[in-house]
Formats: sequence, C-alpha cells, structure tokens
Amino acid sequence: MKAKAGYIQVKRRTASLRIIHWVNVFSMIAAITTGLYIAAPYYQTFIADPAVDKYVMAWNRWVHFMVAIIFDVTSIIIFYLTFFSRVDRPWSKMIPNKKNMREFSAVLINLITLNRHKNFNSAHNDSFNIAYFFTFHFLMVWMLLTGLQLYVHGLGSGLSSVGTWWPWMLHLVTDWTIPVSGWMVGGGPTATLMDVRISHHMTMWLLIVWVVFHIYYQVWRTIFWKEGDISIIFGGSKYVKIKDNEENKEA
Amino acid sequence: MSIDKEESVKKLFTAESAKVDTNKGDAYYDELYISCQKRIEDLKKLKPLNNRMDFTESIEDQGLERRDFLKWASATTAMLMLPASFTPLVAEAAVLMNRVPVIWVELSDCAGNSEALLRSDGPKIDEIILDLISLEFHEILQAASGHQAEKQMNEAMEHFKGKYLLFVEGAVPLGMDGNYGTIGATGETFVDHLHRAAEGAAAVIAVGSCATYGGIPAAAPNPTDSVGVMDVIKGKPIINIPACPANPSNMVGVILHYVLTGSIPELDSLLRPKFAFGYRIHDNCERRGHFDAGEYVEEWGDEGAKNNFCLYKLGCKGPMTFNNCSIIRYNEGVNWPIGVGRGCIGCSEPDFWDKYAYERPMSNANIKAPTGGVEKTVDEFGLGLLTAAGIGIGIHAAASAVAGKSEHGGEF
Ligand code: SF4
Ligand code: SF4
Repeated sequence: MKAKAGYIQVKRRTASLRIIHWVNVFSMIAAITTGLYIAAPYYQTFIADPAVDKYVMAWNRWVHFMVAIIFDVTSIIIFYLTFFSRVDRPWSKMIPNKKNMREFSAVLINLITLNRHKNFNSAHNDSFNIAYFFTFHFLMVWMLLTGLQLYVHGLGSGLSSVGTWWPWMLHLVTDWTIPVSGWMVGGGPTATLMDVRISHHMTMWLLIVWVVFHIYYQVWRTIFWKEGDISIIFGGSKYVKIKDNEENKEA
Repeated sequence: MSIDKEESVKKLFTAESAKVDTNKGDAYYDELYISCQKRIEDLKKLKPLNNRMDFTESIEDQGLERRDFLKWASATTAMLMLPASFTPLVAEAAVLMNRVPVIWVELSDCAGNSEALLRSDGPKIDEIILDLISLEFHEILQAASGHQAEKQMNEAMEHFKGKYLLFVEGAVPLGMDGNYGTIGATGETFVDHLHRAAEGAAAVIAVGSCATYGGIPAAAPNPTDSVGVMDVIKGKPIINIPACPANPSNMVGVILHYVLTGSIPELDSLLRPKFAFGYRIHDNCERRGHFDAGEYVEEWGDEGAKNNFCLYKLGCKGPMTFNNCSIIRYNEGVNWPIGVGRGCIGCSEPDFWDKYAYERPMSNANIKAPTGGVEKTVDEFGLGLLTAAGIGIGIHAAASAVAGKSEHGGEF
C-alpha cells in the first residue's frame, strides 16, 4: 500500500512476526476453550451415545497439548527475535533507563489524557508497549512452565513414548514452579501440586484481561492517533505524518 | 510456603517429585539380597522383644492359611519394588517384625490411623503383622495411663535408645507456645513430647496426613498453628506415610523394609516412600476410560453414577494425587474410595483439606485468598478481574469519545 500524501510508511512487522501473531491468537483461543473444559468439563457428552468418537476429554487435552507445543515453538522464535531481529530492537526499550522511563510515562500520559498530550515518537515501538508485551511474555512463560509441570504429573512412571529423558527434563526444568506457586497461593508450609493448577488457571484469567486491554488499546490508538496502527498486524506497517518522523529518521 | 526459608529455596531446583527407579540392575539386587539375608540371620539371633503371640499361631487363629500368607508375601514384595526372588526373605522378615521396637505417640489427631489398622472386620494379614510388632508404647492400646504410662514410655525410650522406630500420629500445634495440646500428668506440650520421643529414635515415621503436613488441624485458618512432624524435627531420618487414614499396607511396607534391609525405603521430595506414593491415582483408576471419554457423573446417584462414570466433575482429585490406593486398595484389596463411587479428595497431598477436598473441580471451588481473607472460586476471581478491566476500558472509551479526536500534543 502506498502512503497517503504527507504520510510516510513505517515498516513495523515482518511477515514472519505477523504469522506468529496470528498463530498465537488462534492457539490462545484453542488453549482457553480446551483449558476451561479440562479444568471443569462444561458440556456433556451424550450419555446415550455409544462409544463412537467419544474421546471428548482426550481430544480436548490433545488439542490443549498441541497448542502448548505450538506456543513453546513460537516463544522460542520470539525470544530469539527479541535479541536478533533485523527490523526491531525491542530489548533496548526494555532496559529501565532514564530515556525509556521518560518515554514510558509519556505514553501513559497520552493514554490517560485521552490523547491530549503526545510527546513521543509513535513511529516505532515505544517503551510502554514493550513493557506491556514483556508482561505478556512473562505470563506466557509462566503458563508454559506450569503447564509442563501439570503435564509431567501424568508421567509418574518416569517413562514416556520418547524415552525417560523427557519426564526427567521436565522435572528438572519445571519442578521449581511447585514451591513458587505454593508461595503465591499461600497455605501450609509445604507447597502442593494443586498450587500449580490454581496458579495456571489464575494466570489464564490474567492473560484474558491482558488480551482485552491489548485489543482495546490497539483500536483506540488507530482511532485517535490516526496513524493506522491496526494495520501493523495485517500489512506490517503503519503511517506517520512526515513532520513527526523527521527528527527520528534514524531510529 | 515461605520462600524466605533457605531450604525451600534450595528445593526450588532440586525437587524430584515422583520419579521412581524400579529396576536398579541385577548387581544391585544381588548385593541387597545378601545383605538382607545377613540381617535376617542377625535378627533371628535376637529374642522377640516382648510379649506376644507366635506369628504362625496367630495366622492360624484367624482362620488364615499359610498359603494366604505366602500370597501376601509375594504381593508385598512387589509393592516394595523388590524382585520376586525376595519373597522368602520378606516372609521371614514379617515373622521377625517383633524384633524391632516401636514407640507410637499421638498428637493432634483423631486416632484414625490406629483405628484403620485395628478395626477392620476380620483382621487381615497386614493388621496381624502390625499386632505383632513390638509396640513398646501406644497410648490407646496400652492399659497403663497417667504417671504409669509416662514411666513406661521413659523406660522404653531409655532401653531401646537409638534403636526404636518412632511412629507419630497427629499434627504438632505450635501456637501459644505449644499449649494447645498437652499430654500426660506433667502437662508436657505436644512439641516437647515429640522432641523428647524423637531424640533417641532410629527413624521417625509420620503416619497420616496430620502428622505429615498438619492435615485437618492445620486447615485454614489453622488457629493452633499446627504443622507436620517434618517441619519440627530436623536431623533425623523422617518417613512420611500420608493419607487419611494411612493405608496399613504402607505402614507394614515401611517397617518391613526397615526390618529387611536395616534402612529406610527410597523417598520422594515430600519424604514419602516411592513404592507407595510414586503412582498417580488417576493413572490406575478403573474409571479412567470414562474420564477420557468425557463421561462424568453429574450429580450423585444419576445415570452416570449408576454406570460407574468418572467422578471428576464431582471433584475427584485423582489427577493430582499420588498414592497407591488405586492399586492396592484398602483392607487387603477389598475396595477403595473411587471404587465405592465417590471421588478422591487428595488426602495424601499437602493442604488437602483446603485445596483438594471440596467435591467440585478446582476452578469452581472456594479457595482462600493468599491473605487468608476472602473465599472465592478461581473463576469468580478471574471474572471479577475481567469485569474490572471492562469497566475501566468502558470509562476510557466513553471519555475518549466525548472528548473527541485530537491530533496530538496540545492541539485541542
Ligand atoms: S474417577 Fe478420578 S481418578 Fe478416576 S479417572 Fe476420574 S478423575 Fe481420574
Ligand atoms: S482415593 Fe484419594 S482421598 Fe481416597 S484414600 Fe486414596 S488418596 Fe486418599
């Protein structure tokens, strides 16, 4: 798409990043619908129905695990791109230095003054957005680790179809989530597996709240900033008024 | 769970959960066999410690045959994760159980574990064996009381110093300087009593969920500040046999293992013997097929219940509970909770009363907030958060719409 006169096109998302975004969106919808079923089956299978295609819980769990693995893979890619992407350098905005703090509060002020003040360069990813996405990734990592911990409960024998290293590794990598969950949930001096479940379920709600605000904020920006922010995730770029962008051309 | 404790931080990366190594190789078992043989020879030279009936006689008195006993021995060998060749050794060790002195103390409890091993309608071999052990002190079972009982305990502790197994049943109240529970004529607090008894013990065995994690007395709001034995006793081998009540087979298993090998069995990160707690209820449950099929009992006594459907929606916690009742069951394999049509309440896991035993799936159950205040279901709390976020967004959106669009930066 060619930029409107007076506007300049700013490339923000490569095709691969956009694909990952939409893969994540659909994975998340699948993970939440199946996860809610696994937590407390909310629809009934027909009791009169004989054993035809009846593995309802098994299918739900299968989808949940598959989606989890997709999430694992996209997380690794995103982690890599955070540091080595050719397009964006999001990590540099994550460091809580003076410049980033100032930008963070400028964006926050823009949001609460309903776009009355806009004293930052909106062409590129700002510190506020980066911090918000960092929260998301943090919650996601916690989801993956607690999820794998819940999953390894089913491998109590220490065996798996791919070998004994798999449950061994999962224990090694995720067992610490038990005491950490126990600490978050509270209770007696000994943490328990249920704490991990409670924490996994609770984090799902935090993620849903995160998504709701994320969608709202992107739409709000599109409407009020008038820079076509929403098209970042479809077409890969947004459009900024030329005078805005001049001082930051090199950024 | 307090994260500030040095030990819990250390545990962060070293917890081992329920990994079970059931085959340690021939060389290991050959060596073990020889050392067990030697230990049994040594034990045979000792006289039976006190009293008690002759084992073979009491088996016959109860109308059981030697064949039953041998069947029991081979089942127990398997339960202890030993090769079948150990069966004769296990049988011999069972007969020699009265060579090992046992002191049994009761703290904050309902005596349910003692009941479990005493009150089955016909004594099973497990119970007969527990009858046979050289129980030097057990407040409920002995005739002595008051000063006399205290004297008996002191004597037993003195006489068998460093050799006896200490069984503890019940939680340890720590609040009010331990004065929530006192024992005996001197009014000794439970904590002091436990410390004194543990002092000379070869190993401490916490029986039941209360002794293991605090259990029911430690349930929220835990007014007496109750904890389990492992939170009080340090520097002693501790074995936890949780569950409510602990399965007599597992108690026998632990004693037998000690008699046979002179050592305590392999333990998991919660100090539970792996031979008993290395299995998840759910993985060996006869209703598992219905779980995967999505066939659940919706309410007590419905069509699903009549067809033995899975009890998950009525709060079965088999998927997060490690115990062997789905394999060995209770009362020598007669039945077990899920077999009689009610869900597992996770009785062998920490905080089971607050976090497992609410008879509905976790997300729909009232769970205490970390502050100990509001009781909410996780879903209610999540929906509350979502509503709050929705209201905030609504206000912001309305305000933005009213204020109208503005380019930016001071252009009103
Ligand atoms: S009844 Fe409980 S342990 Fe058995 S399959 Fe259902 S959820 Fe699992
Ligand atoms: S089925 Fe569950 S609640 Fe029942 S005895 Fe076994 S572990 Fe305890």
